[in-house]
Amino acid sequence: MSSIILPGRRRGVRDKFSRLHWPLIILLTMIAGAGVVTLYSVAEGNWEPWALKHGLRYVAALGLMVGIAMVPIRYWMALAYPIYFAALIALALTPLIGVVNMGARRWIEFGGLQFQPSEAMKIGLVLGLARYYHGLRAEQVSHILYLIPPTLMVAAPVGLIFIQPDLGTALLLGATGAIIIFVAGLSWRIGLAGILGGVAAAYGAYRFDILKEYQVNRILTFLDPERDPLGQGYHLLQSKIALGSGGLDGKGFMEGTQSQLKFLPEMQTDFIFTIFGEEFGFVGAIGLLLVYLAIIFTGLSIAMSTKLHFARLTTTGVVATFTLYVLINTGMVMGLAPVVGVPLPLVSYGGTVMLTIMAGFGFVMSAHVHRDQDMYRSGDSIG
Amino acid sequence: MVSVNAHDPERQEIVSRRTVLLGGGVSLLFAGIGARLYQLQIAEHQKYLDLAQNNQFNKRILTPLRGEIVDRFGAPLASNRKNFRVLLVPEQARDVDAALDKISQITPVSEDRRARILREIRRRGAFTPVQIADNLSWEDFSRINFQLPHLAGVLPDVGETRDYPYGAEAAFVIGYVGAVTERDLAAQESDDERTLLRQPGFKVGREGLERTYEKELRGGAGAMNVKINAHGRVIEEMADSAVPPVQGKTLALTIDAELQAHAMQVLSVPGERMPDEPQSAAAVVIDVVTGDILVLASTPAFNPNDFNVGINPELWKELNESPYKPLLNKPLSGVYPPGSTFKLISAVAAQRAGVKPSETAYCPGRMWYGNRYFHCWKRGGHGTVNMKDALKHSCDVYFYEIAKTLDIDLLAETARDFGLGQTYELGISGQQRGVVPDRDWKKQYFAGNPAQQPWFQGETLSCIIGQGYVTSTPLQLAVMAARVATGRAVRPRLVRAVGELVLPAPEAPLIDVDHDYLDIVRAGMNAVTNEWGTAARSRLEDEDWQMAGKTGTSQVYQITAEDRARGLQEPEDLPWARRDHALFVSYMPYENPRYACSVVVEHGIGGSRAAGPKARDIMKAVAEKDPASKQPLDPRTLARAPGPRES
Repeated sequence: MSSIILPGRRRGVRDKFSRLHWPLIILLTMIAGAGVVTLYSVAEGNWEPWALKHGLRYVAALGLMVGIAMVPIRYWMALAYPIYFAALIALALTPLIGVVNMGARRWIEFGGLQFQPSEAMKIGLVLGLARYYHGLRAEQVSHILYLIPPTLMVAAPVGLIFIQPDLGTALLLGATGAIIIFVAGLSWRIGLAGILGGVAAAYGAYRFDILKEYQVNRILTFLDPERDPLGQGYHLLQSKIALGSGGLDGKGFMEGTQSQLKFLPEMQTDFIFTIFGEEFGFVGAIGLLLVYLAIIFTGLSIAMSTKLHFARLTTTGVVATFTLYVLINTGMVMGLAPVVGVPLPLVSYGGTVMLTIMAGFGFVMSAHVHRDQDMYRSGDSIG
Repeated sequence: MVSVNAHDPERQEIVSRRTVLLGGGVSLLFAGIGARLYQLQIAEHQKYLDLAQNNQFNKRILTPLRGEIVDRFGAPLASNRKNFRVLLVPEQARDVDAALDKISQITPVSEDRRARILREIRRRGAFTPVQIADNLSWEDFSRINFQLPHLAGVLPDVGETRDYPYGAEAAFVIGYVGAVTERDLAAQESDDERTLLRQPGFKVGREGLERTYEKELRGGAGAMNVKINAHGRVIEEMADSAVPPVQGKTLALTIDAELQAHAMQVLSVPGERMPDEPQSAAAVVIDVVTGDILVLASTPAFNPNDFNVGINPELWKELNESPYKPLLNKPLSGVYPPGSTFKLISAVAAQRAGVKPSETAYCPGRMWYGNRYFHCWKRGGHGTVNMKDALKHSCDVYFYEIAKTLDIDLLAETARDFGLGQTYELGISGQQRGVVPDRDWKKQYFAGNPAQQPWFQGETLSCIIGQGYVTSTPLQLAVMAARVATGRAVRPRLVRAVGELVLPAPEAPLIDVDHDYLDIVRAGMNAVTNEWGTAARSRLEDEDWQMAGKTGTSQVYQITAEDRARGLQEPEDLPWARRDHALFVSYMPYENPRYACSVVVEHGIGGSRAAGPKARDIMKAVAEKDPASKQPLDPRTLARAPGPRES
């Protein structure tokens, strides 16, 4: 195939394939590999019931990511609002037609498949906000009138998820929205006022019993773990013992006594970092965190190097979501964040979150593959 | 759509700047996570390694103390005492049989008990400790502690067990506790409650108030983190983290334990002419103003402490098969024809039907009605009697005369007005209603036999003297006496306070009856004891405590001509189970009533001879103490004793 590409013509799939960010794919695969290894260990040396499935799901999700990456980012931009509003409608319908699972109504059934509208909204909100700011001039970003639509775009899904009730996801989504608005260039003064308002709202929610008792308890237990030494505090203590006893180089693969003794709940999901840290020690845990950090910086550098404003913000949004997952989960198992049930991306067992994360990186990858395109001139040759 | 500058350097610059800031922030947060990892895994590694390698944390349930049951002045009727016991953790013992053998050298473990222990181990799994012996003496307990190094898996433990200081004397008021069954577990609402009930040796209320107020008495479990070593032995208790258990609520009763004990003793005194016969009897004393039950006595009784430690099968068999029914709560569940005590009601019903108290009847000793003679208890007859005389001497013929025209439904309505034919909210199950017959009742009772369904006036003749279909419980008879004394619908109660909550006395509205009717009944009762009536022997001498009463003797078996032919002279010649029941109802003081009492002596032959004197002895003690004049316990002053305690 000719290396000369005519202006206005789309790139060939093969060419695009070569433009994929391969280091990023390798980093993501390393994380998923760590997940497979740990899940194998949690199951006491068995591929069932988690490890094998986790690996297969990753391969499938990787395919999805590459698939999304092959589609020009401007097409995604055209679809941004439809995706956002579809997710919002699904979210609004959840209380009406949703399936109750574990005491919360979070799932809806669609063509025989169950999916979580709140997960779809993690993508939808990023795309929607990026699309919105794409249409704004720099000086408009901090104009109070132009701040109303994005505020509503964030508040609507956050509110809907909050009443499901799923406090963890609601906070995650709110924080992601705030980061996108911040990166889009909101003035510091308004940002600060927004944060103060958020704190006031949280206090109000607490004062006026909007939060469920268990949610308040989780936050209060986080602030003072001694409050509940037998419930949440007990799990936290067990998590700290497991991690701490791992030491510098860990107890070794499948040697994690604390974890294997099943002192912890949800080892395959929320507390998986504890097992990893116990078995592979400080060296292993820091290594894993560095891989995460490498992914985050790769993402941010893609954001800075892409030409389309929409692509820049989408990439930042995806990376922000990913980062929040990592920080909240690791902070949670070490007593730095409340136990809110946020998984460790690509390591914790669970298909939906993995799909969300990899789909998100699909847009990042698309932004990278089509980094030289902007709204009006696509297919610039870069020689 | 706003037009957008494609190259847009300004916006790109902002995004780049902010992205760099974001990257910086993320780096800082990751550094924080890393620092925390360093703290846990490097700096404090040794501490957590110790915790992990040598110890494990475990959550231990702290069982709450069961709430006490106290009498009206705070004397404990049911409390808790130390229980030295031995638990076994099957998993650590490995050979359970060998362990049991060793234990039985110190304190015997019966075959029966051993089978039960093995069953429990199978059911609960090897982790859970099971109780193998309890209520050990201090000596045996010390010996086991001394032998401990040779007894793998054996866990000496000081628990708490239910204690009934008054033993059999308050058995029927309190009930008893027993071991937890699968059905108990299934009935619990939460897993936490189930966990608590699974604690070794945990007991739940089985009978009486212990059962009815199980929820209030049980209390709330506490919990504590404990460190256990690899063998499961507790090596440190994390008292700081303990959530102390909350003792169950105290149940304050209306009972006066002193008088209750006295009444039980009075009931047990054998009859004058039958020193060898046990007294199967019931007595109830109630405060007619408040409805407080001061005495609820039943003999013979069982000792609830025997149940508490797991009753042995022989004793259980004996209790079940005894003709004197020591497991029957006679004041509430024993039904007896009220006999002549029912004439209090008959006299009111007669006046309601228009009979004047001054009207007289002539009693020749018997009366022909229908196709047979109805006898008066006095063979020679009472001669001419008015209503008061009829009550005083308990003349049957006087009432037969009234019964000829009296409507049974009116008699039944009056009986219900005065407390018969109903149960009361006492918190004790198994109360009997007794029978207050009327036309509807008979129709239902003979549903399969239409010929018997109509009411025959001859039956009213039996009913009016408290025989025939009429039955009642001793409690109902005490209520009847209280209602006659006050003219109010007195309702008895047994529980004064639950925890700190003092329950209001039940309402006692005036009975819808002409209260002049009651005056003549009261005068009749006064004459029974104080004017040389049928219970003159049971008179109280104290001027301030003149007791008015009414005797009753209810027929269980009609002596036939054949019996007489066989030489049967005296009622004592009949076998015990065929002798008449003896009853007595009373209240005092006559002028200003405060206490009412009923006594029933099963097969005691004569109300005036067997029941009256017992009532007199009980009421004499009541008069001397006059509990109603004393301030009862204020439950808010009860000191709670919580504090963490191991199970």
